[in-house]
Amino acid sequence: MGKLEGKVAAITGGTRSIGRGMAEAFLREGAKVVVNGRDQAKGEAAVAEMGGGDNVAFYAGDAATQATNEGIVDFAIERFGQLDIMCLNSGGVKQTAPVMMMSDEEWALEVDWNLNSVFWGMRKSLQHMVPRGSGRILVTSSVEGKLGKPGIPGYAATKHGVNGLVKAAAQETGTSGVTVNAILPGLIETDIVRETGPASAEMMGLPSYEAMLELFTQESAIKRCNTVEEVAAVAVMLASDAARNFTGCMFAVDGGTMPY
Amino acid sequence: MAELEGRVAAICGGTSGVGLAIAKAFANDGASMVISGRRAEKAPAALAELNIGDRAHFLQGDGTSQDDCEALIAETVSRYGRIDLLVNCAGGSKDNAPVVDLTDEAMEFGLKVNYWSSFWLTRAALKHMIPQNFGRIMYISSVEGKVGKPGLSQYVVGKHAVNALTKCVAKEVGALGITVNALCAGAMDTPMMQEAGPAAAESMGITYEELLGWFAQESATKRLVTVEDCALVASLLASEAGAGITGSMVSIDGGTAPY
Repeated sequence: MGKLEGKVAAITGGTRSIGRGMAEAFLREGAKVVVNGRDQAKGEAAVAEMGGGDNVAFYAGDAATQATNEGIVDFAIERFGQLDIMCLNSGGVKQTAPVMMMSDEEWALEVDWNLNSVFWGMRKSLQHMVPRGSGRILVTSSVEGKLGKPGIPGYAATKHGVNGLVKAAAQETGTSGVTVNAILPGLIETDIVRETGPASAEMMGLPSYEAMLELFTQESAIKRCNTVEEVAAVAVMLASDAARNFTGCMFAVDGGTMPY
Repeated sequence: MAELEGRVAAICGGTSGVGLAIAKAFANDGASMVISGRRAEKAPAALAELNIGDRAHFLQGDGTSQDDCEALIAETVSRYGRIDLLVNCAGGSKDNAPVVDLTDEAMEFGLKVNYWSSFWLTRAALKHMIPQNFGRIMYISSVEGKVGKPGLSQYVVGKHAVNALTKCVAKEVGALGITVNALCAGAMDTPMMQEAGPAAAESMGITYEELLGWFAQESATKRLVTVEDCALVASLLASEAGAGITGSMVSIDGGTAPY
């Protein structure tokens, strides 16, 4: 029997990269899963690839908006009757820059996409989970939630903010049966990173995308990027009933990068 | 195939409490193991509970003895041909007192049982793990490895030292397929706690029940954690997916530690 049999999960993002890895791992463990992405056609194709049949559904919407982060909760409950596991996973940067050159538009986008999104989705999920006396909120944070690299100030600031939100919410809900945890991955070479990496590298003052990968991997003890599977395994553990005593954790999956 | 089929573990302090819970998890996942403990009389029940026949062996040993720690690694390699997983559950404190009254012997014991045991076991195990390019080292540390409590300085200092060792060794062997992590557990009502807790509580001017209650009230969940919580993390760290997690101070404390 799977570790998540009978559970319903929703994942912002989820058609690719880390969210996709979580979705596939959750399906293997017996959960029903809602994944999210902006493009209906791509989303449906991803759902078909996952091969989960009726156990997986797609919810279209921009994960940087309040409507999507709240709407996915309603959608999961409507489709599968309940929501046990909420993965507030979507996030990133579009055109990052050093603080001196950061545009208001990019800053606002990153605050919405990385921080407000988590607040909106968490509030809505808790309103469903706390009265039921059970639930799991998993936030995909980052090693940058504890560090600060030049050239990605919005990402670092919003991921720090997310960690604070997780700690506070964990304390608020500690005796309710709901747990709230953050997973802090190191750099994973997902297709999103491949797309936005070259521009990010430039804004970080690095000569190439490869130099950016090198910067992250050389900071780690394992001298390589982390993998989606490593993050998904932690997500399965934290989502399981057995993890009832884990809350407020900043769970590092970063190959020994973080100093604390 | 089970996740740990063919893997070999050494578990220092494996006859009860956290160590036995982790031994059971590893046994279920297919590993062979040598478990050590101070009291040989506890071994038959522990081995019976593991119920994996020749895949488990007991060696009497004390974590405060360098010879015993090194013998555990040597016995594991001699009996099963290798060592892949090292778990150090040795830990504790005695003659607790505020620093102003703390004896040298009490501080020395706190460092030996918590820190030196980890160092001796690790150094001996790495000599086998490095050539084989695989290893998973786990220390049962504590929330007290991240924060401080009055009257428990020898334990707090010992566990902080364990966390420091974790960070250093993780960086030394990170590229060699070896991970090193600290499981920073909250208080558990284990045999070790029942043994050392009442005296520790007394030194803090409270009862044992009040001590447990204090730990629980510090957490978000307002309850103690369990040995199974530690075993859950140990299984994850031992698995294939655990390869990307090293140098971590994993909080297993119901939301107690501030970081």
